Amino acid sequence: MRAIRSSFFQMLAYMRRDMMLFAACPAPILAGLFFRYAIPFLEAVLADYFHMPAIISPYYRLIDVLFVMITPTMFCFVSAMVSLEEADEKTAAYLFITPLGRTGYLSARLGLPAVIAFLVTVILLPVFKLTTFSSIAILLLAACGTLQGVIVALLVAALSSNRLEGMAITKLSMLTVFGAVIPFFVKDSIQYALCPLPSFWIGKAGSENTLLYMFPAFALSAIWICFLLKWYLRKM
Amino acid sequence: MRLGSLFLWDIRFQAKHGFYFLYAVLTVLYVAVLFAVPESWKEKTAAILIFSDPASMGLFFMGAIILLEKSQHTPCAFAVSPVCPMEYIIAEVSSLSAISLAAAVVLASAAGADNLHIVLLGTAISSMIFTLFGIIIATKISSLNQFILWTVPIEIVCFGPAILHLFKITPAWLRYYPVNVCMEMVSGGTPSAMGILIVMALLAILFILSKHCVLKMWSSTGGVKL
Repeated sequence: MRAIRSSFFQMLAYMRRDMMLFAACPAPILAGLFFRYAIPFLEAVLADYFHMPAIISPYYRLIDVLFVMITPTMFCFVSAMVSLEEADEKTAAYLFITPLGRTGYLSARLGLPAVIAFLVTVILLPVFKLTTFSSIAILLLAACGTLQGVIVALLVAALSSNRLEGMAITKLSMLTVFGAVIPFFVKDSIQYALCPLPSFWIGKAGSENTLLYMFPAFALSAIWICFLLKWYLRKM
Repeated sequence: MRLGSLFLWDIRFQAKHGFYFLYAVLTVLYVAVLFAVPESWKEKTAAILIFSDPASMGLFFMGAIILLEKSQHTPCAFAVSPVCPMEYIIAEVSSLSAISLAAAVVLASAAGADNLHIVLLGTAISSMIFTLFGIIIATKISSLNQFILWTVPIEIVCFGPAILHLFKITPAWLRYYPVNVCMEMVSGGTPSAMGILIVMALLAILFILSKHCVLKMWSSTGGVKL
């Protein structure tokens, strides 16, 4: 536990040197403020400009769902970038044979940021949400959003062999988040083409207000994480 | 000759690291988006897609390219080779612009753009501007997180006004803002002579600045001042 804590603080020190820590901490709050206040303002302006009763407001639920995934994706992505550089400079391989070990390394680089992201989402979502959610829905959404963040980080870390490929995979992995958009816009059965993405089920749970859809999201996230974790460990 | 070799090696390097595969996938996805949006939205959607991704890929990737080169000690080799910074910069800019142009041709054709030549010219100029910004930042950073952070202000000052300009919700004087001129071209519009002049002046400044930055990076490579 001590090794994990030290490794996590070492990553924080590295991020502080890059100023990323100062950017990543207020970013969820800034995003929340934008979603909570700027979007309704924009909606009023656009509705007035186009003489329409509603333009963005039918998609407020989607904005909440995206907010749920933003903080974990951001936190896990930042730590994925650190581990990508450690993999590139072969530091990660050396850390694996210290008392930290593989599990400890993964806990410090992915586990702890994910737990923090979950807590931050659980605190911020009730403050910045545009639609109503029950307490259990907030907990389930935050958990699913966190797993989505872990998937994005693992995709970047597992599928790239250096930081350049990491950046290329970052672009592709971010697209997995947008599976949540589909249930809001595609109503016929073609939407199920994206059913392997956990984010699709998070979006579906949001669009149809049915928490039952969170279960496929959890199950798929577990499959994705197991598969990617195996890939990552084999690569290292 | 040297420039041609550098350009070809850059293309090989980018192909090896999956740039062409990535942009093939992204282009297919963007075309799907273009087919999904209503006919009246297509042109503007295509302009936003081209401007915010293929055209600006240099801003996203230059950090990783230069950091990877640093970790492989390529700047040390460049520093003692006959290659001059301007050749290196032109090769990077033109190889990344080639990918931007290939993606832009497909997207503009899918959207049924009228002035394809203007769209492509706008894409090439935007790509040059973003790649040069990327080079300037990348020579000064030491990690990916640092690079991502440094690109945020540039993204804000470039994408925000350009998208607002596309929807014609910017003041008249902002039509001379260089990125707005580029966005006008990417959306198929013909820019004013004054606009073109300002963009060319910006490009010249960025080329000079990036040359200075690359030279500084090469001359201080390996822990000694050359």
